[in-house]
Amino acid sequence: MEIIPGQQFLLGKVDDVARWAQASSVWPLTMGLACCAIEMMTATAPEYDIARLGSEVFRASPRQADLMIVSGRVARKMAPIIKRLYDQMADPKWVISMGACASSGGVFDNYAIVQGVDTIIPVDVYVPGCPPTPDGLLYAVNLIQQQIRQGGRGGILARA
Amino acid sequence: MPSSQAPPIGATALDPTALRPPIDDAAIERITPADLLARLSALKASGYTMLLDVGAVDYLERIPRYDVVYHLLNIAADAATVGAVGKPRRVRLLVGVPHDALEVPSAVDLWPNANWPEREVFDLFGIRFSGHPDLRRIQMPDDWEGHPLRKDYPLRGPATEMTPRPAFALKSNVAAGTPASGKTAAALQRQIAAARAGGIAPAAHEAVAAAQSGTTSSSATTAGIASAKELAERPINLKTDSNEKS
Amino acid sequence: MSVLPDSIAMDVVEHTNNRMVLSMGPQHPSTHGVLQVITEIEGEVITKAEPEIGYLHTGIEKSAENLFWTQASTVIERMDYLSPLSNAMAYILAVEQLLGVSAEIPERAQQVRVLLCELSRIASHCVWLGTGGIDLGAISTFFYSFDLRERILDLNEFAGGARMHPNYLRIGGLNGDLPTGFLDKLDIVIDMYEPRMREMRNLLQKNPIFQDRTIDVGILTAEESLAWGITGPTLRAAGVAYDVRKAFPYSGYENYEFDVPTRTEGDAYARFLVRLDEMDEAMRIIRQIRKNLVGGPVTVADTKFSTPPKETIALSMEALIHHFKIVSESFRVPPGDVYQPVEGPRGELGYYLVSNGDNRPWRVRTRPASLYNLQVLKKIAVGELIADMVVMIGSLDPVFGEVDR
Repeated sequence: MEIIPGQQFLLGKVDDVARWAQASSVWPLTMGLACCAIEMMTATAPEYDIARLGSEVFRASPRQADLMIVSGRVARKMAPIIKRLYDQMADPKWVISMGACASSGGVFDNYAIVQGVDTIIPVDVYVPGCPPTPDGLLYAVNLIQQQIRQGGRGGILARA
Repeated sequence: MPSSQAPPIGATALDPTALRPPIDDAAIERITPADLLARLSALKASGYTMLLDVGAVDYLERIPRYDVVYHLLNIAADAATVGAVGKPRRVRLLVGVPHDALEVPSAVDLWPNANWPEREVFDLFGIRFSGHPDLRRIQMPDDWEGHPLRKDYPLRGPATEMTPRPAFALKSNVAAGTPASGKTAAALQRQIAAARAGGIAPAAHEAVAAAQSGTTSSSATTAGIASAKELAERPINLKTDSNEKS
Repeated sequence: MSVLPDSIAMDVVEHTNNRMVLSMGPQHPSTHGVLQVITEIEGEVITKAEPEIGYLHTGIEKSAENLFWTQASTVIERMDYLSPLSNAMAYILAVEQLLGVSAEIPERAQQVRVLLCELSRIASHCVWLGTGGIDLGAISTFFYSFDLRERILDLNEFAGGARMHPNYLRIGGLNGDLPTGFLDKLDIVIDMYEPRMREMRNLLQKNPIFQDRTIDVGILTAEESLAWGITGPTLRAAGVAYDVRKAFPYSGYENYEFDVPTRTEGDAYARFLVRLDEMDEAMRIIRQIRKNLVGGPVTVADTKFSTPPKETIALSMEALIHHFKIVSESFRVPPGDVYQPVEGPRGELGYYLVSNGDNRPWRVRTRPASLYNLQVLKKIAVGELIADMVVMIGSLDPVFGEVDR
């Protein structure tokens, strides 16, 4: 975007403006599963405050959310529901796999836990930790914002 | 981490409940499924108002194979102070259930909170509770086959896995076209370009020199590292060149 | 006409006359985790509520059977994830009973264990308070209570290395002594607690909207509570003063002066008041420990099962060997079974451990306080308004890591 010197308007591409808007207001879906969900809630608390990054509200309805933060271990019974929620989200959408359990099954390599949520939905950013500190989640949201700004899967012309 | 499929080393006791050290945690009684309801009613009538838990243990080689364990506590409903509660007594009932008669009467009529734990014992061990109003799976999905907490059920689940374990999914942002940050993406691109041109990672300078001079680097081979020539011939594929989860 | 669900995922909301079958969850902003409640409502009144659980079933008990005694506490800590230290405490006390060393745990270790467990209780109640408020729209309480929780998590991290699952309590004592500076940080928390608690009470306790929404909601009598196996603040709000710390004291609780707050109304507001009072009592215990903390070792001297201090490993061959053995193949626990309860923030959290003489547990059965506390929702929801469902779930304070394990 350029500021035209001497005039009172900016010149830019629609794509850039749209990406700037998307990146500045990533609204997550409340997809709290286990311990990582508590750290995700802590990221909304005053000490870490995810709202200053643009995630002012966590939307409960997948239709209204941009970002699904899969926070916690994904049990086999919950897996189809996560897939359904992901399908219900409108494009463009992003996924953060928060914590070791969501990224790869974590400490639980057994019959009950899906070994990584990326076996059922595509993931954009993985956050390691058990649970990751809220700083880690904030950095992940930063990375999502960078991905949005630079285009690729998150651009306004992206398909699912 | 110890292998989940290996048998426990040094496993000795077939019936630990018979060999337990003298710990005063509850009055323990061992009864048969036929006598269970009568005993539970008698205990309830004598003041054991709380059924704390219904669980099960699989002893595998013991006869009877399973134990269903009931924990009871006697507290009066009008115990409104700590003094009135005093030191309650605990009872632990161990019901031996053989593998060929997986049936135990349900305690739901005596204590309504037996509903869910009995469903859980059914789900995870396969022991049925006769008289239970709604005996279906509770923790596993409805269409699951098998009873996971049995000792002969593998830790990782049945051989016909529903979701296979993929190789570590390397979602390289460069490969996907969305760089994480400009600088690292550019650096990674340079590294890949150099590797494609030279056939090897830039760090193995000596190996390169040795290969180009026609002699194999003895240090590389003795260290078990693939020779530079092999590395040069192997195509670089970011998606598969990763740590396979064995 | 009542409809029992025959599949877990309700695809259709059914309409018949004035009745609707509504599936709340498993993804829901206010169910405190992955809970699905299949409710039949007639207008706004709930006629039937059937909670469906299992959406967080992790197989922790089976995982623990395949890990060493020392490693199992890492997965067990992840059950009740709001107060991980009480899980670890119950499990470790049970193992120590089987080993026969309960009487030999040094006093400093016992005091620090109680200190951290009570801090954990306050942190857990902070989450309950914050989320309970936010469910009803009282967002400010969330910010205040989570800030207090931050200071406690800082203490966890300082002592144990991680905010939520520090694995600091070990079989035989602790994983190393408290670092220098810990007690100063603890003093800061103790000083900030009282004014912060006053602020949080001011926000909600006499708030007429909050009272309207919680008084006479979800009433449980004492007899019903005992019949449904309820323990913890929910039971005490119904009038029965059962607290495992008083009835079956462990780890030196008999040495501390604290009360067990009880009420008689048995509704959501009574549970709210009981939990707030419990936070105060926990802080009372913490102050007593801070004043009377003794010096001395923090692990049992017998290094056959508690790792020797790191400083001795470079100096003594025996210490090195014991350390290696414990880490690589753990120790054997004599055969037997034991049930060890503790008073967690949700009630009686107990572990029924069975050992067959091996270096891995044969069975780890949890007595999950939240499972029984949640089961009673089937009963108390009938006749209440659908808007009260959230209040009731919040007042029962379930944690699904414990319910589903």
